[in-house]
Amino acid sequence: MAETSPDRKALHAASRNERLSGLLSRVALKDQSAFAALYEQTSSHLFGVAVRIVREAPAAEELLQEAFVNIWHHAASYDASRSQPFTWLNTIVRNRCLDWLRRRELLTVPLATEEDEGGGFEPPSGDPTPEEMLLNGADAHAVRQCVETLDAGPRQAIALAFYQGMSHAELAKHLRQPLGTVKSWVRRGLEKLKRCLDHAGFARN
Amino acid sequence: MNLSDPARSQRLDALAAEYALGTLPARTRARLARAALGDAAVASAIRGWELRLAPLADGVAPITPPPWIWQAIAARLGMTADPTLETSWWTRVALWRGLALAGFVTAFALAITLLAPRQEELQQPIVAVLADKDGKPALIASAQRGERFMTVKAVGVATPEAGKALELWLLPTGAAPRSLGVIPAAGVSRVTLAAPPEIALAQIPALAVSLEPAGGSPTGAPTGPVLYTGKIERMY
Repeated sequence: MAETSPDRKALHAASRNERLSGLLSRVALKDQSAFAALYEQTSSHLFGVAVRIVREAPAAEELLQEAFVNIWHHAASYDASRSQPFTWLNTIVRNRCLDWLRRRELLTVPLATEEDEGGGFEPPSGDPTPEEMLLNGADAHAVRQCVETLDAGPRQAIALAFYQGMSHAELAKHLRQPLGTVKSWVRRGLEKLKRCLDHAGFARN
Repeated sequence: MNLSDPARSQRLDALAAEYALGTLPARTRARLARAALGDAAVASAIRGWELRLAPLADGVAPITPPPWIWQAIAARLGMTADPTLETSWWTRVALWRGLALAGFVTAFALAITLLAPRQEELQQPIVAVLADKDGKPALIASAQRGERFMTVKAVGVATPEAGKALELWLLPTGAAPRSLGVIPAAGVSRVTLAAPPEIALAQIPALAVSLEPAGGSPTGAPTGPVLYTGKIERMY
């Protein structure tokens, strides 16, 4: 395990987090230039996250705006002792996108065709698959080893849910499995992931 | 939530895991988020899973958002010190340009109008997103069936220079534009309709906003450049 790249990644992440922490504390004091810098440094990543989850560029554009409006208003509630700034920002964006997606499923709105034609999102060519992202993302962390212990089914289901916001029903359709099977893949996969992470000392809280 | 009960705490953890992963259905998701506000055990279970899954987001390749998004955020927050807003394109916009571009934005606004409000508010609205020539949304107009006004929300409007005002127009098919009055460049405003929207807007395919002298066009027809246009979409 004498890889250098995970270390470099960890260093990079640490300096990024330090920078973002500083910006967030200035944003909490309503410093507009700090807010602009925060946007500059994080919007591409956060937009990448949002676009893949909601899978529609116009929706992702709106949700990114809402997320940053939210960040501006709530930066003061960011608690550095509880989470890394990047995690905090990511969580705000993910939750907003997931709320939007799940709420939309409650109301079947006959806009599918229009959306499919207009604002549909095609992943950039050469975009890694959700499973590749899962392993890339987990690089540099105990998480990677734990992700690798998952069976193919649960791993794929968790990757598609995390990166593409798929619901149980969508997973079942996409993976051509009964609903009960994907539900249990997700549940057991998460349980296994937790046992493995906790065993590896990934208890960050 | 009784933490001494292992079965309940296990169930809570399973819910928190799927909350963070995103697979919980809307209602369960909303219930858990509400519970987290008043219950430290729920909040901590969710946070634990958000932290556990957080490293996975590092694997996502960034995508640069379109530049107008920053301007829209700054506009929403009333941050006026944005030099990129001071461009001159809007002095030369042709009336119907931007309609096609605005179309796809409208589809999204419809979705938002339908989805964002509580269910009892979902009453077949009429919606238009007015966008600039580049398709950047500036105003969202909506009207509910049976009501006598249209609600106009500014989402990315460049503040007009002193002595100028924004005027909203109906663009009827084969007839001259009809004024709906002057609208503010920020916030939410209401414009009165002569009849409920299903009648007043029946033959109106689009709306437009032009730049006029303060107080509105002195001639009753648009005199200044057209800044924003948008197609009217009906949900019935």
